[in-house]
Amino acid sequence: MGFLKQDNFKRDVFLGIVVWLFLLLFFFIVPSAGIHDIIQKVFILGLFAMSLNILIGYLGLIAFGHAAFFAAGAYTLGLFLQSNVVNILGSLSIPIAIISAIFVSTVLAAFIGAICIRLKDIYFSFLTLAFQMLIYSIILALVNITGGDQGLMGGFPKPPFLGIDLGKPFDFYAFTIFISIITIILLRQLIESPFGYGLRMIRDNPERPAALGFNNQRHKLIAFIIAGSIAGLAGSLQALLDVGAYPEWAFWAKSAEPLFMILLGGMHSFLGPIMGAFIFEMLNDFVTANTRYYGLVLGLVILSFVLGLRRGLLDWLLIKFYRK
Amino acid sequence: MLKIHGISKSFGGINATNNVSIELKPNSINALIGPNGAGKTTIFNLITGKISVDKGKIFIGENNITNLKETVITHMGIARAFQITNIFPTLSVKESIKMALLAKTHGLNNMWDRFASHSVNEEADNIAKLAGLKKVYNTISSELSHGDQKLLDIALALALKPQVLLLDEPTAGMGPEERWEMIKRIKELWQKTKMTVLFIEHDMDIVFDIAQTIFVLQQGAIIAKGSPKEIKQNQAVIKAYLGGGKK
Repeated sequence: MGFLKQDNFKRDVFLGIVVWLFLLLFFFIVPSAGIHDIIQKVFILGLFAMSLNILIGYLGLIAFGHAAFFAAGAYTLGLFLQSNVVNILGSLSIPIAIISAIFVSTVLAAFIGAICIRLKDIYFSFLTLAFQMLIYSIILALVNITGGDQGLMGGFPKPPFLGIDLGKPFDFYAFTIFISIITIILLRQLIESPFGYGLRMIRDNPERPAALGFNNQRHKLIAFIIAGSIAGLAGSLQALLDVGAYPEWAFWAKSAEPLFMILLGGMHSFLGPIMGAFIFEMLNDFVTANTRYYGLVLGLVILSFVLGLRRGLLDWLLIKFYRK
Repeated sequence: MLKIHGISKSFGGINATNNVSIELKPNSINALIGPNGAGKTTIFNLITGKISVDKGKIFIGENNITNLKETVITHMGIARAFQITNIFPTLSVKESIKMALLAKTHGLNNMWDRFASHSVNEEADNIAKLAGLKKVYNTISSELSHGDQKLLDIALALALKPQVLLLDEPTAGMGPEERWEMIKRIKELWQKTKMTVLFIEHDMDIVFDIAQTIFVLQQGAIIAKGSPKEIKQNQAVIKAYLGGGKK
């Protein structure tokens, strides 16, 4: 067990398995569908926020249009499972649908990223937003395919695979958390790799790397594509959870959600965005049950974090009790 | 080692450099001096590909590097440290030097190995020792003293194992004692690595103390070149730069 003292891949895998098993046990200890739903959403939205934090926290690029990839993943999965291909693929349908969702988001991110990363600051932010609103308009316009403003209607089948039936609450719960934890472990490996430190280098000082013989643009594009593909995966899991896909997932307000999560949880700690997703979901659950002024309460909480802690909660906790 | 043949650069019709030729011998230490606005940093920017050359050619060894990309020129053996310290504020000294080492070998494309345990640790250690940064090895760069930040900027360039090292005012912003410390360190570095060095400096005592050859620039043109002794006696330099022989 000596590896537990070291910050390495083995330790991350071990901790990931422990968390997964604990949450599986939790499913039976607390048999509340509402709480299980919140946990699933925390992981899905946490992945979405963590993917955006690759750009914001590690690369220093604030993307306003990240939901484009979330929606692309959701719609790809939904359309795939609504198609006749399911009859041919049978039990392979869901794995292939998820892979397709990641693939489409990746290609979309490569296209949008290749254009956007040439810009910086507010110009980068708003160009990503422009692309997102273009995707939103396309979803609304292609009524015959996407269902327009109603979203994908009629649901879709979830054929069991490898003994996993996503129609059953426990299977879905275990599967979603498992996929999320694997992605988080891989993302951590990336962030702690020389590639990940290259992102920090660009964030800290975008001019200097060229004088070290380092190609900024290529690095930024790869990071943008990875962020888009993880957002696509999150979108596909959300579509599986809701058995549908909706145009508001491509609307600009959806891109603000992971931004809020990052602000709440912290952008300089790896797990900050997932903590932000937890706070966001708890607020959502608690506030909407008690008042209709959800936006007002959320705004006040974010203000208190920004003005009071001056950083996200996990960032603050780490500085307070660990780093200094 | 580095040959510059008649390079010119103008910005909006104003000549920043005009037909400048410089040749640096291998393993030599050279100074580029001139009043503010003479075009010294522009020459560094032209050599490193940060800005494009309008006219003329630049060679490193036999290779023509004129108007190549900055990243390509760096990989061909030219590295620089900047007048305004150009480091990575949130990274430690150790991390910064490792990043520079990995940049040299394209190791930053590695998405799997942990950066902390990467094999360049020993090499980074040696460069920190060479630059005199071992005592602050694990300090975050933004928390370093100005002098150590300057040394780190130089260490980043050293990590690239360049054939030619360009130092743009390495003692800028330092007090007199710190300046001489820095110059002593640069002299040691040059003696140990035997790379070709071209530095920009305003303090003539420093220049005359360590430079083997001095190039004097005025209004974008070289008005003199030679040994410290020759430059001290050059009437054009005395008139233009050294203060009419009062120095």
